[in-house]
Amino acid sequence: MDALLKGLPLTYLAACDYRKTGKNWQAILPASSLVAAAQRLFKAGYFLEDIGALDCVEGYVVTYHFAPFETAGRVAIRAIAPHAKPVLPSIAHVFHGAEWHERETRDFHGVVFEGNPNLVPLLMDPDMADCFPLRKDEKARARMRDILEIGEVRFCAPGFDLMTPEAPAEAAAKPAGDAATA
Amino acid sequence: MLQNAYPDQIAGDFYTENFAKKAAEGSLILNLGPQHPSTHGVLRVVVELDGEYILRAEPVLGYLHRMHEKMAEVKTAAQFIPNMGRVDYGQALGWNWAFVGAVEKLGGIEVPERAEYVRVITSELNRIASHLLWWGAYLLDLGAFTPIMYAFDDREKILDILQIPTGSRLTYSYFRIGGVASDLNEDCVRRIREFIPWMRSRLPMYKDLVSDNIILRKRIEGIGVIEPDVCQRYGATGPVARGSGIACDLRKTEDYSVFRKLDFIAPTSELKDARGRYDVRMIEMEQSLNIIEQCLDMMPEGEVLVKGAPKPSWKAPKGESYFAVEGARGKIGVHLVSDGGKNLYRCKLRAPGYCNLSLFAEVSQGTILADAVAILGSLDLIIPEIDR
Amino acid sequence: MPAEFIRILIGLVAVAVSVGLIGLVMVWVERKVAGHIQRRPGPYEVGPNGVLQPLADALKLVGKQLFMPDGADPILYWLAPVLSFIPVLLLFLPLPVGDGLMALDINLGLLLILAFAGLTVLSLLLGGWASNTKYCLLGAARAVAQSVAYEIPLLLSVLAVSFVAGSLNLAEVVKGQGTWPWNWNIMTQPLAFLIYIVSALGETNRAPFDLPEAESELTAGFHTEYSGMGFGLFFLAEYANMVVVCSVATALFLGGWQGPVLPGPVWFVLKVSLLMLLMVFFRWTYPRVRFDQLLTINWKWLMPLAVLNLLATSFFVKLAQFTEVRW
Repeated sequence: MDALLKGLPLTYLAACDYRKTGKNWQAILPASSLVAAAQRLFKAGYFLEDIGALDCVEGYVVTYHFAPFETAGRVAIRAIAPHAKPVLPSIAHVFHGAEWHERETRDFHGVVFEGNPNLVPLLMDPDMADCFPLRKDEKARARMRDILEIGEVRFCAPGFDLMTPEAPAEAAAKPAGDAATA
Repeated sequence: MLQNAYPDQIAGDFYTENFAKKAAEGSLILNLGPQHPSTHGVLRVVVELDGEYILRAEPVLGYLHRMHEKMAEVKTAAQFIPNMGRVDYGQALGWNWAFVGAVEKLGGIEVPERAEYVRVITSELNRIASHLLWWGAYLLDLGAFTPIMYAFDDREKILDILQIPTGSRLTYSYFRIGGVASDLNEDCVRRIREFIPWMRSRLPMYKDLVSDNIILRKRIEGIGVIEPDVCQRYGATGPVARGSGIACDLRKTEDYSVFRKLDFIAPTSELKDARGRYDVRMIEMEQSLNIIEQCLDMMPEGEVLVKGAPKPSWKAPKGESYFAVEGARGKIGVHLVSDGGKNLYRCKLRAPGYCNLSLFAEVSQGTILADAVAILGSLDLIIPEIDR
Repeated sequence: MPAEFIRILIGLVAVAVSVGLIGLVMVWVERKVAGHIQRRPGPYEVGPNGVLQPLADALKLVGKQLFMPDGADPILYWLAPVLSFIPVLLLFLPLPVGDGLMALDINLGLLLILAFAGLTVLSLLLGGWASNTKYCLLGAARAVAQSVAYEIPLLLSVLAVSFVAGSLNLAEVVKGQGTWPWNWNIMTQPLAFLIYIVSALGETNRAPFDLPEAESELTAGFHTEYSGMGFGLFFLAEYANMVVVCSVATALFLGGWQGPVLPGPVWFVLKVSLLMLLMVFFRWTYPRVRFDQLLTINWKWLMPLAVLNLLATSFFVKLAQFTEVRW
């Protein structure tokens, strides 16, 4: 995975325990490198399992799960869409199946995917297009570091502390040079 | 022509209008469904026709949308299990398993070995029932009225068997966090053992009477060719992907439950068409029988529910987990996130039929209306699962 | 002349009554046979073994509200079911049930049947078009393409037989055949018989050729919008059409009323029933063909075969005339 995402602007990359949480890698990407990452995963033979958003304090954490067909494994690619303007680029032209997943995410959380060829309500009624059932109240939101698996950190962009556990000393000790930013 | 004869009446709803924006001159916009005999429930496909040829198609979903993912956020994990029986009426136990497995991962709960065998036996029986349902309904789509009665005859036997341990016939909520609700009793085991040779004797008859019928072969051979790269782009899994030659059976690739100890094959077909998917499912029924037989022989004695299994008020610990099982229609995935509170923080359901259906728009392009029905049927759609 | 009119009138009444009766019986038989093919009992609640079930169904159909969609053409819409049913009555007139037992003894009987049978497609087209519904329109388009295509091999196969018999009068054709199966035309014209049966299935829109009403594709095709007796008439016409094509097949190929021991009409009814049972079996055991396959079968197989058969038959008929050998 290090090699696969090499050269992409990354925010966070961690190896995870597959038996424990069901994924081997997770990466948090800036919105701008989503499409490039999707293209690389496509070339590597991964398919898109699903796209699901998570309403956190920091914004909508949109998780793309990718898996290979004939071996075990799962990669979670995440991107954070701020509450104020939840916009992400669409990967529907790389993984055509993403069109529906993105529409569903728009229905449930109101995250808009720019470039989706047909971003109309899919599961929700068109009359209810502006009611987002899975958005949470301000005080019900949890912080990313509390609910997501931290994993074995391989790279963390300078200044990115959303995934750092409460005791900041631990994370700072990790080396941040395994995967380089371009 | 017809569509312009009474423009005020034929405007259509939001989706028809949205679809018609890109329509070619002189083409016919037709709504297949939501009430249509071949869409098995309430799927709706808007198609643009040139004569009987499909220029474009767009499935419209949501007629059976129940927002299970929201329901998961207002219930405790254990209370949500009955919902899983209602996501997919074809193979409810597959969803039971995916959810329970994800919660067990989250809570680090070990399952007794006997419970694993019971899970395999019941879910494989359920898989056969699901494939029989598909088989009968698919042939009904193709205009053969009789096979569904035979399929339901066999399926009825499975439902009778599953009724003993689960207490229900269709919408099972049988699996528990840390095991299953009840053990297979002697009567149930005896009936399963009787069912295996019965079903084995039926499958060759189905092959002779139905699978080899020349009209059926002409209807499904070479129809709806799905290339492996289409599967990859749309995330198709299960018999749809295996019918395109991708060996993607989670029972083989992922090391979950006791499948590693069992001797069976995950059939694939290089035909890539509706026939390939048909063959894969027919062979899978045989293989499921093999799995069940082995499990009955290998099943150890013991508990079927772990000691100190979570009570309904049990709070899932903080963290996230993803668990996937091989359902009758493909990869059933459940992604759970918990903040340690009473209810789950987020539950994302990955429905295999949802991804399988999404490739329909591409595959159906340029085919005849009748072929579109044959393709739609070969994807094995269960609408409640797609709409969730 | 008045005597002839009275004869036709009596014939018509008899035919109308018997068509209704045959329709009811056929519905019962079909449902019962289908039931047993599908490992279920079929209707059994109303009357002994459910024999009164079709009557109950007919009552229900009569009692139902007649419905017409918005924007439909009322005249054509209601004309269509009537138009599908009336010609069928006329089709029964020249059918010889027994020796001399026919309503209208004309020497162009076969032609009359083929001409009026051609009218059925018009009613399907009208029904489909006037409904102003897309499914109906597609069904009607299919019906026309199918009926036009299948009429030709049907006609050619019938012609071959009438060449041999030298007559278009069905009674004459029957008299040309003997008592025993080896004296029947099916022995000299097996190909024509096959072509006729296949085309007849296509002509009557029966499975596996029931494309105009293929319910998994077109909901119910041309009669999607019809309710009550509007649908009932189409339904009855379908069964009556089945009886007609089977009766014609019996007269042309299976020796009509001729047979050993039993009286003529009994033989006729037996043979017709056998053929109809065959059609019922087809319907409940086969999947449906695709529309382009249906036309391919017709244009690429039935049609050339029928033409070849006709040419060969006429060659041998001429040869027989020249050599004066009876065969």
